[in-house]
Amino acid sequence: MTTLTKTEDAPAPTGSDAFLSVRDLRVQFSTEDGAVKAVDGLSFDLERGKTLGIVGESGSGKSVTNLTVLGLHNPTTATIDGEIVLDGQELLTASESEMEKLRGNKMAMIFQDSLTALSPYYTVGRQISEPFRKHTGASKKEARDRAIEMLGKVGIPHPKQRVDDYPHQFSGGMRQRAMIAMSLVCNPELLIADEPTTALDVTVQAQILDLLKDLQQEFGSAIIMITHDLGVVANMADDILVMYAGRAVERGSTRQVLKTPEHPYTWGLLSSMPRLNSDVDEPLLPIPGSPPSLLNPPSGCPFHPRCAFTDKVTDGRCSGERPVLPVGRGAACHLTADQKQQVFIETIQPRLG
Amino acid sequence: MSILRSRTAQATVAAAAVGALALTGCSSGSKDSNKPAGKSQEEAKAQAKPVAMGTAQDSVGPAKPVAGAKKGGTVQVYQEADFSHLDPGQIYVSDAGMLSKLLYRGLTTYTENEKGDQTVVGDLATDPGKSSDGGKTWTFTLKDGIKDQNGHVITSADIRHSIERLYDPFLTDGPTYIQQWLSGAGTKYREAYKGPYKGKHLPKTVLDTPDDKTITFHFLEAHTDVPQALAMAAYSVVPEKTDTKQKYDQSPVATGPYKVASYKSGKSLSLVRNDNWDEKTDPLRHAYVDGWNIEFNHDKADQTKTILADRGDAKNAIMFTGQVDATQLQKITSDKAVMKRTIQGYAPYVWQLNFNMDRVKDKKIRDAISLAMPATSVARADGGAYGGDAATSLMSPTTPGYDAKYDPFNRAKKPNGDIEAAKKLIKEAGAEGKKLVYAYANTPVRTTQANLIINNLEKIGLDIQKKEVDQATWYEQMGKVKNGFDLYMTGWGQDWADGNTVFPPSFDGAQIQDGASNYSHTNDEHVNSELGRIQKIADADQRASEYAKLSKYISEKINPAAPIYYTKVFQIAGSNVGGLRYGQVVSYTDPTTIYLKK
Amino acid sequence: MLRFLIRRVSGAALILLLISAFTFFMYFAIPQDPATLACGKNCTPDALAIIHKNLGLDDPVPLQYWHYLSGIFAGRDFGVGHCDAPCFGVSFRNNQMVWDTIMDRLPLTLSLTFGGLVVFLFVGLGAGLMAARYRGTWLDKIFSGGSLVLSSFQIYFLGPIVLGIFVYSTGWLDKPKYVPITQDPGGWFMGLLIPWIVMATIFTANYTRMSRSSMIEQLQEEHVRAAKAKGMSSRYVFYRYAWRGSVIPIITILGMDIGALLSGGMVTELTFGLAGFGRLARDSVILKDLPVLMGVMIISAAFIIICNIVVDAMYAVVDPRVRLS
Repeated sequence: MTTLTKTEDAPAPTGSDAFLSVRDLRVQFSTEDGAVKAVDGLSFDLERGKTLGIVGESGSGKSVTNLTVLGLHNPTTATIDGEIVLDGQELLTASESEMEKLRGNKMAMIFQDSLTALSPYYTVGRQISEPFRKHTGASKKEARDRAIEMLGKVGIPHPKQRVDDYPHQFSGGMRQRAMIAMSLVCNPELLIADEPTTALDVTVQAQILDLLKDLQQEFGSAIIMITHDLGVVANMADDILVMYAGRAVERGSTRQVLKTPEHPYTWGLLSSMPRLNSDVDEPLLPIPGSPPSLLNPPSGCPFHPRCAFTDKVTDGRCSGERPVLPVGRGAACHLTADQKQQVFIETIQPRLG
Repeated sequence: MSILRSRTAQATVAAAAVGALALTGCSSGSKDSNKPAGKSQEEAKAQAKPVAMGTAQDSVGPAKPVAGAKKGGTVQVYQEADFSHLDPGQIYVSDAGMLSKLLYRGLTTYTENEKGDQTVVGDLATDPGKSSDGGKTWTFTLKDGIKDQNGHVITSADIRHSIERLYDPFLTDGPTYIQQWLSGAGTKYREAYKGPYKGKHLPKTVLDTPDDKTITFHFLEAHTDVPQALAMAAYSVVPEKTDTKQKYDQSPVATGPYKVASYKSGKSLSLVRNDNWDEKTDPLRHAYVDGWNIEFNHDKADQTKTILADRGDAKNAIMFTGQVDATQLQKITSDKAVMKRTIQGYAPYVWQLNFNMDRVKDKKIRDAISLAMPATSVARADGGAYGGDAATSLMSPTTPGYDAKYDPFNRAKKPNGDIEAAKKLIKEAGAEGKKLVYAYANTPVRTTQANLIINNLEKIGLDIQKKEVDQATWYEQMGKVKNGFDLYMTGWGQDWADGNTVFPPSFDGAQIQDGASNYSHTNDEHVNSELGRIQKIADADQRASEYAKLSKYISEKINPAAPIYYTKVFQIAGSNVGGLRYGQVVSYTDPTTIYLKK
Repeated sequence: MLRFLIRRVSGAALILLLISAFTFFMYFAIPQDPATLACGKNCTPDALAIIHKNLGLDDPVPLQYWHYLSGIFAGRDFGVGHCDAPCFGVSFRNNQMVWDTIMDRLPLTLSLTFGGLVVFLFVGLGAGLMAARYRGTWLDKIFSGGSLVLSSFQIYFLGPIVLGIFVYSTGWLDKPKYVPITQDPGGWFMGLLIPWIVMATIFTANYTRMSRSSMIEQLQEEHVRAAKAKGMSSRYVFYRYAWRGSVIPIITILGMDIGALLSGGMVTELTFGLAGFGRLARDSVILKDLPVLMGVMIISAAFIIICNIVVDAMYAVVDPRVRLS
């Protein structure tokens, strides 16, 4: 490393066949107290038919990133830099009307809480058919048939009757299915699922995840799965991006990240997750401290105030120098590869059982 | 009549008073100036002339034309509140009194020359009546060709009916002079006869109609001012066939030059010509304009501003009982052209501070308080410099016998109270620190006035306890014999220009009872006997001078009430209004002479 | 829906009954004989007794109340003639049927209220929507700042100023007056223009602020964002999704305002010298005219209750989650 002062990540691999490519994305919100760097130099790629899991605590910038992809931030309060290319089209410079044509059509989003994300004032059918009519120019009748078809697809019994129901007449799981139907109505090639199952019962959770998988196979969509639940990503994702304080701190295939995590933060996440096969009296190990203020992020590695391994790094680099996320598989950490392996095997793995 | 005696008047004054309060600071006169703004008392003296008794010749129509008058157009009137009644039998107050001049005719009425001299003349009758039997019997003969709005010819039976219906219990608001003179004082007359609606008439020995044209009143005692009493609106004719009793109040039958075209209670009243009225029979009324459009719900400020702005309908507007709002006084009095559109005159009211004679027994204290009255300030508090003048005596400038030079309490030199002289008297009486209860109505004007008065009374060493009384029940509470108060202001105005309608109601000892208007409870043998004697004097001039003497006696020897101020009238009209003058009889803009220039 | 109506209407009837009883008995609890108000110069105890009898005040109060109530349903006979049901009695003051008087005054008040309503709803909601849509821009600042200033005005303050300028000084407009719309629509419009504008100015300000804040709140709702994520245009999302939710608090306030305006547009009527229901209410109180007072109280209460029922029904129309039962 010669560029010690460099604070950005190096560009991620420029996979030419990437369907979605995010480069050095920066999103800042101006508040009365100053600028909040919600996303600070994020890059990743996603291929068609693949699922990328984005993992992190609340406020790590996962949701902001995805709303930015959809172009849903208010341009007057958010400053956005970088590059987002979807199937060869630059999104950040696209006009609002171009974005409107893409949203709900080529790319769609599943929101976390269907109770708030569906309007209580319109029937489920109407809310599903609306984007279909808009993007395909279908007639009311066609759109309604499509809505019924979609409701059936996501597993809602008697879709013909339920299509005229209002969201509050659906159970939580049904409603989430309806919302998925709404997102998929135009066969989107990119589906962003923002904690799609957090608000649901565990059993329903599994059904919904299965449904998403099935649908992905059918439509061939790329999925970004935002979650703080590693279990969900383990189940769904091909690749994982771990975010902390608006930056990617670890990247790799799901297997790599879950089996041989390299970043102390990822270790923390894994250790703090309960396991079915662990002893009852074995304590969970939460990550000490709290997520950093994005208004005034820590110097150097943003995780260093909470990191248990800074003493292994010399010259105070943890607090003085921002670690770089390497291209491809890797983590943004000053620990050497050997140190990482040693710490993981000696301290972390036993905890994970 | 006492001010505020009707329910409507109470509401109106309460509302108007809000505006009046604000203006005390705006009146232009400096504190020590006693020169009254507006019409001087010298001019007002004309008002105090006794009413002359007219002849048959005076009673003939048509009325002497107003110079330059022309016919046509509709006059606009802005009024604060609706008339409380249209049924003449219920009319006692000035607002409906104005209206009655246009709608109704009675046996007698007043004419008024350019100088304001009043003559009582026959209206429906050929003359103001012939008395016989020493004044106990009065006979009237109807003119020919008098028709009501339906074309019905008015006969003596209609006159009899009009008097008789006043005995029926449903009519409560009108004056009771004639009824009591015919059938007994108090409510005795109501017991004697219950009204004509069940087919019974008053006995011929009381009210007789020997033929279609003649009606004879047989009074219990001799009365000199029967023609004046009969000229009151309440004694106007109500044609028998078309009397609808209670419903008459909404749709009365006119005999005057106008009739009701539409009446929307609380909103508007419009009058159109009554084609059956014949000017040749009418000695008083001109009917130059084709109609009247009276709109209610315009407060004093609104009336003034609208007429002052002089646009559209307001060019043809006059005020009935409204007054120039004091906030606009400056604008109006400083503009000569506008001043030409105004009229001024004394209203017949005298405001006095009554002493409860049962409680304030030391005459020295009463004299001291009378001397200490801040008369001018109190007057200004009620309508500014044009609202009233300091009163020197208990007699109004409008009452015959009034003497402007008579000033027992030194108002001319000390318009805001002779504190030194009063203090001296209090000392002599040994009354320093004496506790007295001052009652006042809870309106802004009365409250301001109370504060002015109490301030002076405290200066002379009295200990005054303020007692606020609900405006709506003010006269009821003051009218109680055992009212529990020492000092309270009341206003009284004549029913017609004669001491007969002022002194007996206010100072007759026989009148001390709950609800009566002898608010000070004056009961003096000399006064009582004088009242009896003077009322019987037939000659109006002589009567006037006797009342003047009696007034002086009351103030000097008894002093039951301190005169405070005389109210004045200041009204404005639109620029297109001609024939504008102050009417002595109505004490407002004379509605009978109005015409529109264009 | 039917059950809702039956339940609410019967509830309303009960409330009206309670209000009428309360008013009636409270009136007689005031230590003041209404007859004294009709009794002037000749107010001897005997004269008072006659008036007392004329006004029907000799009966025990509960009996009087019973007569009153039965009159509403069955009509009554008075000296002035038969009073058909609904008979609200005859004014103490001018012998007019109270029902006729109220019916005579209502058209003005209805015109005033609903005319003003059209103005302040259109302008107020419009301005509020624009301010919310262009939040933070100069347009928003003008609208929200202006409405803050205007909403602190009062009709009795603004009214005379507007009258002073447009009527008394320049004469551009006529004094406000009421002409029935059936008689002369143009005159009706011109006659009420000033009151509408003044009334609407003040209400507009409130509705601008309310509609703006309600809209801003709605725009932050997740379903609004979700609708955008579906690709719906921001106009569509604004007017369909956000607006729909933002009207609910407005309906609540509007219901209260309409009820208040219908039952007590007193300030407006007094300011502009108009004789409507509000002035009737005020006069009846000042004149202690019980029958009119009762009529006014009952009709006002009925307005407020009806507005409440309509508001509740409106909730159900706007928000499918609300069930009428």
